[in-house]
Amino acid sequence: MKIPYYPGCSLKTTAQNFEISALAVAKTLGIELIELPRWNCCGTVSSLTSDDLMHHLAPIRNLVRAEEMSENLGGDEYKLVTLCSMCFNVLKRSNLRVKENPDELKKINDFMYLEKDYSGRVEVIHFLELLREIGFQKVKEKVKNPLSGLKVAPYYGCLLLRPKEIGIDDPEDPTVQVEILAALGAEIVNNPFKTRCCGSYQTVQDKYAVAELAYDILSRAQKEGAEFVTTCCPLCMFNLADRQKEVVEKYPEFRSIPVLYITQLMAVAFDLDEKYYGFDLNYVDPRPILKEKGVIR
Amino acid sequence: MAELELIGGYPAYMRESIKLVEKTRSRRIGKLPPQMTPQEREEILNLCHPDYAPGGKRAIKVGPNAGDIAPNEVVDLLEAYPLIEPNQIDLSRIDYEIDVLIIGGGLAGTSAALLANDSGIPANKILLTNKLRHGDANSMMAQGGTQAADRPNDSPVIHYIDALGGGHFANKPDVLRALVEDAPTVIKWLEELGALFDKDADGNFVELTGGGTSRRRMHACADYTGMEELRVLRDEFRNREIPVLEFYPAIELLTDEENKVVGAILWNMETEEYKVVKSKATILATGGFGRLHIRGFPTTNHYGATCDGVVLAYRAGAKLRDVDTVQYHPTGAAYPQQIIGLLLTEKLRTSGAQPVNKDGEEFVFPLEPRDVESSAFIRECYIRNKGITTPTGMKGIWLDTPLIDIINGEGCTEKSFPAMVRMFKRFGIDMVKDPVLVFPTLHYQNGGVETDPQGRTNIEGLFVAGEVSGGVHGKNRLMGNSTLDCMVFGRRAGIYSAEYVRKGVKIGKPSLKHVEKYLKMLKDAGINTERRSPILLPDYRGKAVLARMIDIF
Amino acid sequence: MAEKKISVMDKIREAGKSITSGVAEEDIKYWVTIHIMGKAYRVPADLTIMQAIEYAGYRLIRSCGCRAGFCGACSTVFRRKGEYKLQTAMACQTRVEDGMFLVQIPFSPAEKPLYDVKNEELESSVILKYFPEVARCVSCNTCTKACPQDLEVMDYVQAALRGDFKAIADGSFECIQCGLCAIRCPAEIVQYHMAQFARRMYGIYGTPREKNVEKRVEEIKSGKFDKEFQRVMSLSLAELKRIYTEQQNTREVY
Repeated sequence: MKIPYYPGCSLKTTAQNFEISALAVAKTLGIELIELPRWNCCGTVSSLTSDDLMHHLAPIRNLVRAEEMSENLGGDEYKLVTLCSMCFNVLKRSNLRVKENPDELKKINDFMYLEKDYSGRVEVIHFLELLREIGFQKVKEKVKNPLSGLKVAPYYGCLLLRPKEIGIDDPEDPTVQVEILAALGAEIVNNPFKTRCCGSYQTVQDKYAVAELAYDILSRAQKEGAEFVTTCCPLCMFNLADRQKEVVEKYPEFRSIPVLYITQLMAVAFDLDEKYYGFDLNYVDPRPILKEKGVIR
Repeated sequence: MAELELIGGYPAYMRESIKLVEKTRSRRIGKLPPQMTPQEREEILNLCHPDYAPGGKRAIKVGPNAGDIAPNEVVDLLEAYPLIEPNQIDLSRIDYEIDVLIIGGGLAGTSAALLANDSGIPANKILLTNKLRHGDANSMMAQGGTQAADRPNDSPVIHYIDALGGGHFANKPDVLRALVEDAPTVIKWLEELGALFDKDADGNFVELTGGGTSRRRMHACADYTGMEELRVLRDEFRNREIPVLEFYPAIELLTDEENKVVGAILWNMETEEYKVVKSKATILATGGFGRLHIRGFPTTNHYGATCDGVVLAYRAGAKLRDVDTVQYHPTGAAYPQQIIGLLLTEKLRTSGAQPVNKDGEEFVFPLEPRDVESSAFIRECYIRNKGITTPTGMKGIWLDTPLIDIINGEGCTEKSFPAMVRMFKRFGIDMVKDPVLVFPTLHYQNGGVETDPQGRTNIEGLFVAGEVSGGVHGKNRLMGNSTLDCMVFGRRAGIYSAEYVRKGVKIGKPSLKHVEKYLKMLKDAGINTERRSPILLPDYRGKAVLARMIDIF
Repeated sequence: MAEKKISVMDKIREAGKSITSGVAEEDIKYWVTIHIMGKAYRVPADLTIMQAIEYAGYRLIRSCGCRAGFCGACSTVFRRKGEYKLQTAMACQTRVEDGMFLVQIPFSPAEKPLYDVKNEELESSVILKYFPEVARCVSCNTCTKACPQDLEVMDYVQAALRGDFKAIADGSFECIQCGLCAIRCPAEIVQYHMAQFARRMYGIYGTPREKNVEKRVEEIKSGKFDKEFQRVMSLSLAELKRIYTEQQNTREVY
């Protein structure tokens, strides 16, 4: 199965480990994620604006590319898969806006007269939705190295779940990561703060405010017995993992806890080559605990 | 032309000639006419080269080179009155008191600034002044490459002999040696600063030959070599916060009682205000003289190439060298009218393009030295009458550019000559499919203010670098040696002017006494003229408007 | 023979007259009207915008540099008669059209940030450090439309966000720094300054150092060629001519 894939800027820079593990995991499941040609930055926060159309050019231009790519691949499915939750949120919301407002779509198409018109056929989905579509049974079948004994607390953050119109799961009590982790053989730890905001872009303004939020989320997870936290968003990753430095400054007794992309754990469970784990880019190295638990050598 | 119908950019009658070129193409591929013997070269120069045709030059009447021959347009500037009266200038107020003044910011001037800074002159004691913007220079337009003998089968000695022969053995030996020995260092320096030279998959420089060059040693950045080199050096210059002025040409040098050069008068082109710069060392890097349109030829040069530096230095008593020779580049664009004279790099010929006449016949080895090649084109057009005449009356011969892709593979022209492809595309011509029309164009000032290996002139305190200097190239410059000259001697002028300053030079009161002396020389020689120099910019205003113009405001 | 030579030179001078000394009215058959900063002027139909401005009597000081399309001095913005679209071009490389409504932009107000390339790393964060506005790019493509060199400017700005220095270098290599992209950009990015920085960084950190030239520099420094130079520089003119001819005959095939 070939599907157009939108990486987003972080996946090419700070979150290369997310991409390398996800692409390998997808391949194992028989999915080829093909990178969109000439994609541009989704625009992140500015593309969520509701009072001008200019900032929707960036996401819609990507959807034009996705539509073109799907046409070339043939078939009747027009999907675009993303890994980054922020990109997912932006692309899906812009897509929804122009589908619901045809006159705005026309304006955007007229402005981008050098491109093909976007007709609104693309469906933006997150990688987790794709896994759900394929079926968790299939995921389980590929597991060669069950993550037995690993206590993992999934974390969702905001952008995968809110607003309701685009969320991929129950906003209060999502379960998609639970089902994946169960298929991998891990022990699930429920963190009541799993849908709490990590602080998002406040991290560039006030890193200690983010550190407070991270402390709440992580220490609660630890209190529930978690040894790992998983996420699907490079920004959440940065706030929960890299900001542990500031957490320790404020709370010296805080013990560091590894935060991983769920696809990294999937790669380990599928027993893929080490080069697809990408652990060098994780702020807190998970390898000591993984080795201790006998999950990796 | 507005009334002629154009097919692919060319009128129908020129298309007929192109058909003949296409007919002979397959038999011409890879087969070149033989190189000329030294006697043949001598003959054709005497027959057709603009320098050799009588009526274009005369003897200079005044100054250090009195009696020497130079082109009329140059002598006109030397035998001309200054723009200012010495008593108009108040020299008591000094606007800038610095260590090194650099006049002209092309590759030479910018290199000089960087190396003076590297050699211990603090940034705020250097001043680079430009007539137009920093970067408006012939350097920015250089296309083909920079020579440096860095391959194992090559050596600086071989480079030396190539340049010496090309220069008709008139180059100053120790100066030429400095040029070729510093060349690899210059390339390495540029690479370390981040310049993007053409490299192959293994990371080696892609190097081609040029006219009169016996080895492959031309380092290029597509056909934007000068632009890439100058952009990088200028960026480095800006990062160091060295003071720079724009639209402030020098209109006279300043000398002290011992006739050392101690600075210059700068003039703001926009506000007409003058500034007095007192400087321990002055580096002249003012470039060439193409906009004098010697012998009525169009030129490849930029707007400000008006021989200013030679004039200023000559008034201060500097000796000139080899000013009797002018380099005409064989392949200047000849069609359409809008781009007449613009440079089409020699690299086109090195990549396989062949000159052919209106019947599609080859008539000369494509890579003779420039003076010989130019003469051959002139002979073909005006003596053998085998050139093509354009609708505006310009004559030229074809340069068969489609051969480049045929020989090197599809896409080569676009990849190696993006600037050329773009220029012709703007006027509706596809140089990959069709040949282009060329004719010699005024290109380079071979000689100038005489230099030594350290960039010094015969006037203390005055250094020189780049096209404005004389002695490096003899009577004729080879391709790729000009950008090299600018950087080698720009660097040296920077280094040695810094050394000169740091040794502790005492400079006297700045004056325009040398100008007064020069005025007297002109009067004594009976030179009565309205001419003033330096001219700063050429004048292309419409004649009709000029006839009705009055200066009242 | 002497007479022939003189007349050849005179003929050449005559042939190039239109470019060296301006167009003479008698030769013009076709005229157009253009508006320079709102003022109408009747000019010969086949001139470039730059030649037409000079024909109209303006002596250019700003907005004129190489006159060949390399230096970016003559940036011009214009509209065609009856069209709303804003066009950009270099005055020295663009023919006038009847009804053209134009102005020249001699300067793009964009200070360049100062950096020391020797102390930076090849990462996208470095670009954002000196050019944070790059993150404001909304992918509107206005810069690409403004570029007179037909570069895909937006693409290389986007490449900056991904840290793809090679793509920036390839995409911006032919940039003449005319400033039109920066003037038009709604996000107020100065594309050409960012590209210059990225190109230098790529040249320094993204490409391997060439080995031949390094070796040769060392050889010269160690005096490897001194003896050979001394020998050659002491030869007579006749001998020099001989070895030059020999050397030209052994030239590498190009």
